[in-house]
Amino acid sequence: MSYFAQALINGIALGGMYTILVLGFSVIWGVMGVINLAHGEFVMVGAYLAWMASDFWDVDPFVSAPAVFGVMVLFGYLVQRVLVNRVINRSALVSLLVMFGVSIILQSIMKIAFSADFRLANTDLDGAWRLTDRLTIPVTRFWVLVVAVGVTAALSLFLGRSRLGKSIRAAAQNREAARIVGVDISKVYAVTFALCIGLTGVAGALVSPLLAVQPFQGPPLTLKAFAITAVAGLGSVRGALGGAMVLGLVEAMLALYVDRIGTNLAVVASFVLLVAALVLRPQGIFKGLRHVDATST
Amino acid sequence: MFPRCPVGGGPVGAVVSGVRRPVRAFGLLLALATATAACGDSPAEVASVQGAAASVDLGAFDGTVRIGAALSETGKFAVEGKDSRQGYDTWARWVNEDYGGIRIAGGRYAAEIVYYDDESDADTAANLVQRLIDTDEVDFLLGPYSSGLTTGTSAIAEANDVIMVEGNGTSDTMFERGFQNLFLVATVAGDYTRSAIEALAARGAVTAVIAHEDTTFPTAVAVGARRHLEAAGIEVLAIETYPKDIQDVSAIMTKFRNLDPDVFLGGGHYNDAVLFVNAADELGFEPDAMLITVGPSNPRLVDQLDDDVDGVLGPTQWEATMAYEGDWFGSAADYAAYYQRLWGEPPVYQAASATAAALALHLAIESAGSTDTDAVRRALRSLQADTFYGPIAFDERGVNVAKPMGTIQVQDGRILVVAPDAAAVAGLVYPRG
Repeated sequence: MSYFAQALINGIALGGMYTILVLGFSVIWGVMGVINLAHGEFVMVGAYLAWMASDFWDVDPFVSAPAVFGVMVLFGYLVQRVLVNRVINRSALVSLLVMFGVSIILQSIMKIAFSADFRLANTDLDGAWRLTDRLTIPVTRFWVLVVAVGVTAALSLFLGRSRLGKSIRAAAQNREAARIVGVDISKVYAVTFALCIGLTGVAGALVSPLLAVQPFQGPPLTLKAFAITAVAGLGSVRGALGGAMVLGLVEAMLALYVDRIGTNLAVVASFVLLVAALVLRPQGIFKGLRHVDATST
Repeated sequence: MFPRCPVGGGPVGAVVSGVRRPVRAFGLLLALATATAACGDSPAEVASVQGAAASVDLGAFDGTVRIGAALSETGKFAVEGKDSRQGYDTWARWVNEDYGGIRIAGGRYAAEIVYYDDESDADTAANLVQRLIDTDEVDFLLGPYSSGLTTGTSAIAEANDVIMVEGNGTSDTMFERGFQNLFLVATVAGDYTRSAIEALAARGAVTAVIAHEDTTFPTAVAVGARRHLEAAGIEVLAIETYPKDIQDVSAIMTKFRNLDPDVFLGGGHYNDAVLFVNAADELGFEPDAMLITVGPSNPRLVDQLDDDVDGVLGPTQWEATMAYEGDWFGSAADYAAYYQRLWGEPPVYQAASATAAALALHLAIESAGSTDTDAVRRALRSLQADTFYGPIAFDERGVNVAKPMGTIQVQDGRILVVAPDAAAVAGLVYPRG
């Protein structure tokens, strides 16, 4: 029983990490239609900022996360205004290539600045709470989960209740209709991108004590975010949480209950789910910010 | 650099032209960053007379021995690739500046190493080695980092009859192909854990579990470890494999915790060591011994994980504290001091292995009295040298069988050799605290 309970704890903890990692990617894709191939690199930049705060000033990543959020919001705003905004009306392939270029640039800049050495941020929120000899809760991952759930709730409220949030959803559903009723699409996109890059930076800060920080850690994270978003539904905040939790639990159970190759199967699982979702339920399990075609109504 | 770098140099103008003023500065910045990154670190980088270009007068030499190497400056093996390159550069600098060049038939020849970044990718590495042979016309090759990359590149070298000496690709299977041109100064992967396992068995360990990445090198280590565990009478309770770029090993460590083994053996690369140590701490998994293939012997891991890594064991090809000495570089400690002066950090074993590989090639060239492939190959086969890295003598496979593998343990933040007994500077702490 404790074996299953530990698998549940592992899965939920992993789901929490995936949630915070995927939120920004999902909303950018859902609202702007941009597949942010540099997502993992924005995570990496956030992780480096947290590592610097930890290494130079001894600031815990959980404490520096709000500052990382602020810096990354500014960075995201700059990238959106200078790059993304100029290609947003062109084919999806162009924005895909632009973001791919940004990912290579960020990798190269961080390698020049910090070398390829692995770094780890220090946190006081480490170790484990031991419930029994065979049941523990990993402290760092628990707090990552708490932040992930908190951020999900806050983002969900923001999109659902605030005027700006409603504008973002309107722009996601039908850009032209939103523009006709006075929504400043350019501003909405800039805010969305900046906010999401800020959240992605926070994700980097939170995982900086868990995953070694290095310039080339991004691509596997982008791939994972892509799979979860496609499975859960584009732009769905609660879907991101749900999809991440489902995947975390599936991975944890497979890894624990299949001998020898369980962890290999777990890694494959997200992509099996991706293919299955695309074939059987293209709108995603939880649905997302759906585009509404004004001309068809 | 730029003329050699069409990828970085070409598109800059195209990127900048036609954009409006507010964008221009940022675009220029990004383009410059791309250009700098591409030129500074990409496959197109060529480094002549490494580490000594500024101070060595090539006119003082009778010629140049051109050596090529594909190394990982980016990608998964970027850290180990950097250490390997610094190891090669240490030799190049020493041989050109301190030793006075490679002595061939009364003349003195400068050593020149041509590098490319293989991006930690086997196909890229193979293509670059072919390019080193065809375009750069190198006389000899030094190996890349990792068994996966060495497997393919050594096949290219063999097909072109070019000698490759290496120190960081140690998979046993590479030396079962009957190649004539591949030489390894390090201990093969299958024997990585031997001295540690024998020491643990002598202290009463009876059960073990193994987790390893399912790639060439970690698999070779794990297969060898299983063989040595069974030979030492230690029962293997479970073996788990995982893919590269893994981000979570909690499930593996949960399984192992429930089996309560005496010894945990983890075989992967640097980041895996971080994951193993953190997951064990988070899950309360406390085996009497943790033996991790790559990581514990690296001072960076000890700095980053502090107390969590205390007591962890790791195999090491070489440590500065080992009692090895030779006519070149002096003792292991002398080499470490020389390396520290050059790079501002102590050498890890990957760096020392790289230096030793270059040194073995250097000694064979001098012994052969020429750069003729057949003559140097014969000289390598008959080479017997005591060096800062340990004794070097190749068997018929091309493997250095004279040097035993060491085992280190992190004790109070220090990396100490604890096995084999002949090389140990401290006792093995078992069970770990």
